[in-house]
Amino acid sequence: MNSFGGNHLNNTSFKCPILDSKDMTAKKIIDLAIKEVRSSEYKKLNLIWLEATGCSGNIISLLNAQNPDVIYLFKEMVTLTYSNSLMAAEGEEAFQQFLDTLETEFILVVEGAVATKDQGLYNVIARYKGKLVTAMEAVKLAGEKAKVVLAVGTCASFGGPSAARPNPSGSVSVSDFLDREVIRLPGCPCHPDWVIGTIANLIAFGMPELDEKNRPIIFYGITVHDQCSRRSSFNKGIFAKKLGDPECMFKLGCRGPITKTDCPVRQWNGYVNWPIEDNTPCIGCAQERFPDGMEPFIRY
Amino acid sequence: MGNKITINPLTRISGFLQIQVEVEKNQIIDAKSSGMLFRGFEKMLRGRPPIDAIYFTQRICGICSTAHAMASTLGLEDILDVSPNKNDEMLRDYMHGCEFIQNHIRHFYQYTLPDYVRGPEIKPLYTTNNDYRLPENLNRKLAQHYLESIEYSRLAHEMLAVLGGKVPHSHGIFVGGVTVNYDASKFIKIKSILKSIKDFVITRMIPDVYTISEYYKDYFENGVGYKNLMTYGVFDTYIEKELYYVGPGVFLNGKRQELDTSKITEDIHYSWYEANQVEQDPSEVTIDENVYKEGAYSWVKAPRYKGYSMEVGPLARMWLSGLYTRGISTMDRTIARTLEIKRIIEILEGFLERIETIPTVQGRYEFRDSGYGKGLIDTTRGALGHWIGIKEKVIKNYGIITPTTWNTSPMDSKGLKGVIEEALMGTRIQDVKNPVEIGRIVRSFDPCISCATHVQSDQYSPFEIRVV
Repeated sequence: MNSFGGNHLNNTSFKCPILDSKDMTAKKIIDLAIKEVRSSEYKKLNLIWLEATGCSGNIISLLNAQNPDVIYLFKEMVTLTYSNSLMAAEGEEAFQQFLDTLETEFILVVEGAVATKDQGLYNVIARYKGKLVTAMEAVKLAGEKAKVVLAVGTCASFGGPSAARPNPSGSVSVSDFLDREVIRLPGCPCHPDWVIGTIANLIAFGMPELDEKNRPIIFYGITVHDQCSRRSSFNKGIFAKKLGDPECMFKLGCRGPITKTDCPVRQWNGYVNWPIEDNTPCIGCAQERFPDGMEPFIRY
Repeated sequence: MGNKITINPLTRISGFLQIQVEVEKNQIIDAKSSGMLFRGFEKMLRGRPPIDAIYFTQRICGICSTAHAMASTLGLEDILDVSPNKNDEMLRDYMHGCEFIQNHIRHFYQYTLPDYVRGPEIKPLYTTNNDYRLPENLNRKLAQHYLESIEYSRLAHEMLAVLGGKVPHSHGIFVGGVTVNYDASKFIKIKSILKSIKDFVITRMIPDVYTISEYYKDYFENGVGYKNLMTYGVFDTYIEKELYYVGPGVFLNGKRQELDTSKITEDIHYSWYEANQVEQDPSEVTIDENVYKEGAYSWVKAPRYKGYSMEVGPLARMWLSGLYTRGISTMDRTIARTLEIKRIIEILEGFLERIETIPTVQGRYEFRDSGYGKGLIDTTRGALGHWIGIKEKVIKNYGIITPTTWNTSPMDSKGLKGVIEEALMGTRIQDVKNPVEIGRIVRSFDPCISCATHVQSDQYSPFEIRVV
């Protein structure tokens, strides 16, 4: 099923990553994926969206998706079988749908870290046949059987805010917890295009090209600084003195130079804005050491 | 002994909630509400730069991050003795209003509607329970609105991002006001979006909630609870009638009263926490988690006001503002939430008429060695409080009581039940094998468990913690 798209993607050498990221936007991949999904031999994969130790903000961010939106995602691209936030069923009946999915071919999305303290009891996601089911057990159960595991958001990818010092819940990232390959889609929250674009890549072309931290290069290949709309101000050495100023915020602690996402060109929420254009620094929310290693967020 | 019913996960809320009830002769005779997630933000915040709390505390909750940005900013401004000018204050409140719209639309269509309406035929939004009452044509229409609504909640977030950079976890709400430099392009973008949302709310959402209420009239009779309501106030710094919504206040034992925030206490008797001594001096409170604590059943603590469990949220606000007086019940809560969006939209329209295209006023903020501040404000789900203590220029103590902590609290040491627990008591369950009433009642409070579980400890504690 990957003959057309697969060749196209894999044979592209990334000579100029900036140009490539512009060419290969999520939208383009999604268009091709949709074509693939529509072709007769494609069978929709199931998808479990498992909320673990986090703020459940990634599913909220996913609901902000546009072209395609979540309805398209669930109708045309994958079959969502489990989501604590969205599913109509509740209680044991809901968790039964989680268990039933394990016997099928499915993608596992985890948002949130894995709380490991006290046998995982800091995060219980269900009660089944009278027994509590921790998020830790659920991630293990599904993680071992899933065709692909996506860690969505910075908590799932790297531990993130849930594992911030002193890490009261003993939270670890999904990759640290599972002994298998995990695609990381960090971001606090993860941009809906990064999730849907990655799923589209999997459907249409197979595994996306990943960097050394297992992040898809199409979204996480270049630093914010390299594509920043305020780069010329940095080059000229003109710096903002406080939030609200129109210049480069490097001296206010902007983490754009070390943060790899396509925020400057993609932008957020209907592609209308992003933190730096709101006159605030990038706080490195998609980086491995967020939040502890990214502080202070604002340097005065 | 009655039948025990456990619902876990109670889906279509934010976070993890378990509800256990005991039913005798089809009536609930006991109810327990348990928050099932603990992350420990107060512990994490200790030692961090105070100003970072604005962005850090937003990570408590993905659905109401702006609420935490507001409370945190107000607390820090209290310490710094800074306040925004009116223009920036209106911009900030506009952003906060966008979150109300986003939340309420998602709560009504994505979280509540499947309780009453057979959802759109897309897995897993679709289920069958034995108590769907709408005629086929109306059901089809409302299920279609479920799908349409996604565009409008998304647009509410888009408005917020125009002013706040991105959302969830926005950047633009900050000490001193906002960071955005408002201009005509932003003005017309958010104005046009607000108009389309208003059209949706007026022509779809409000008629939809009344349609549901027509077919589920018995839900005006259940989920009543204590009828004690509380708000910290929101959109209440304006003298203009069009902009003013509701000030701080309580409705206690059938009477309106002034709010006295010094009367707030917390109790951990049935929560998975332990304190080092039974009676605690407010300035030396120390508590820690203990998931194996005998008799405890929740990560949520039990906040009380003058010893009472207080309901917070849209109905409390609409009631105390005098805009909704029909009653207090499952359905009243759901209707009040929907009508509140209309009021919020009117306030935002008022802001749009008044906000000027002038640059934001920001400064460089330096904290003194020590200080103490609080930020109390009503947010989408109700009364939110951040209490911040600073020592040696870093956060020494950070206390948070969220709206859902008020609504989903467990019993306290005196045996007084939490708000949702009490609202479930006495409820008639038609079919114990399919107890749809429980989820309907609980969801009318719009619980957010990601927010609700916190541990408050160390110095500068603003409230007393009772453990006996």
